Amino acid sequence: MVNSTANSFRPIYLLGGLMALLVILATSLLWSARQAAGRQADELASNQALVRGLGLSDLCLATEARYIRHLAASDRVVVSMDHPGGIDHFPSSTFFIRVP
Amino acid sequence: MPAGSALGRYLNIVDYALVGLARKRGKNLAVVLLFTLVVFLISSFQLLMGALQESARTLLAVAPEITVQQLSAGRQVNLEKSMAGGIETIPGVRRVRERIWGYYFDETSGANYTVIGVPPQDLLYEPALSHSLMSGRLPGGSPGETAVGVEVPKGLDLGGRSHFSLFRPDLSLISMEVVGRFSAASSLLTADLLLLSLDDARDLFALPVSTVTDLLVEVANPLEIDTVARKIADRYPSTRVLTRGRIEKTYKVVFGWRSGLGTVCLVTVLGAFAIFAWDKAQGLSAEERREIGILKMLGWQTGDIILLRFFESGVVALLAFVSGYLLAWAHLLWGQGWLFRPVMLGWSVLRPELVATPVFALWDLLQLLAISVLPYLAATAFPAWRAGVIRPESVL
Repeated sequence: MVNSTANSFRPIYLLGGLMALLVILATSLLWSARQAAGRQADELASNQALVRGLGLSDLCLATEARYIRHLAASDRVVVSMDHPGGIDHFPSSTFFIRVP
Repeated sequence: MPAGSALGRYLNIVDYALVGLARKRGKNLAVVLLFTLVVFLISSFQLLMGALQESARTLLAVAPEITVQQLSAGRQVNLEKSMAGGIETIPGVRRVRERIWGYYFDETSGANYTVIGVPPQDLLYEPALSHSLMSGRLPGGSPGETAVGVEVPKGLDLGGRSHFSLFRPDLSLISMEVVGRFSAASSLLTADLLLLSLDDARDLFALPVSTVTDLLVEVANPLEIDTVARKIADRYPSTRVLTRGRIEKTYKVVFGWRSGLGTVCLVTVLGAFAIFAWDKAQGLSAEERREIGILKMLGWQTGDIILLRFFESGVVALLAFVSGYLLAWAHLLWGQGWLFRPVMLGWSVLRPELVATPVFALWDLLQLLAISVLPYLAATAFPAWRAGVIRPESVL
């Protein structure tokens, strides 16, 4: 076995230091996430009032095409809106799965 | 630490494993960095999907119970507002609201705005609605009043102005006045929105007086939504009846690994891990065999050698996994998903902020562990055993 008592610095201290940095990062992230979640909880009532009052059905994630802006409310043929058989050519649609 | 204690023994083996990794620091650092990168990529995508699904679940939980659209040749067209009277007679229907909405394309900037027009008295039913404004008020009874989302002033290049004009279909101008601005906190719903009165929306789109875009149906008993929807569809077969359940289902499935980007991420990551595992399973070099022979002569047991190999792989895999996962959280929380945002926005001229707070899900973490760390460790098993059973006299 390696006798590491002659050398006071052990490599595991370095690993421990790295893990400590990761723990600090994790703690900061957890704190930020809680702050963000708290803000969203505070804003939930007014946002839900928006959805109810205006009859919103979709999130505003991208505005490049109608069927991407309104994923739930668009009709099925809107992907071919430019001409019959037109294919989906908008980059952002790679992000979403088309729901039949 | 006493040399004979079990913990001391394990710590000594970890020390030796770390020294061994440092001997080939270039290669091992590259493996850690690449491993971190692939875990970061797949975690970021997974966390973003989870965050968007959660946002949709909470915000759209109060979406309209039923939305009635008119279809013609498979496309949505305007519907006669007299249909509202017929729908109101269906048992279980509490109220039917008219709505005009559509898209306004600004040729100057190339931006698409969502225009929604509702009767001003409908807004009174939701007192909390005005809390979604950061300034001003909701449009009232005066013609030309509008409340706009955060991206609209930028798209219209309003600056400090509150008056602007929009084109009707016949290219005549309609004057608008911004009386309210929605807050950034509501941008996930209103970033591109121009909220007008029903009459102003009708004027802007030049719709006949007898038509609206769709009808919002409120049902007294949530359990009867599907029944009422079926009755509406039976009574008006040319309509599309969209229920709240359908909206919720859409947002449960629209984000996932089967999307184009998700598939690319998954295939890339699986390919990367296959390469890592193959590299690990390649076996020992002559130098490594010689090293193990010397260790065995010094008194290391087979189990110690196997532990050593596992610790070497475990340190690399776990360090990379934890780093990649935490960086993915930072990417979403602090970086607003900058890596995926260009793909998500595409050619959009209006660029709404991505407000997506990641949600920790143990199942997702375990899935990630299963496709990243476990295959890497599993690929170490056989080579570790082979290393453990080396006879010193065969290599020295």
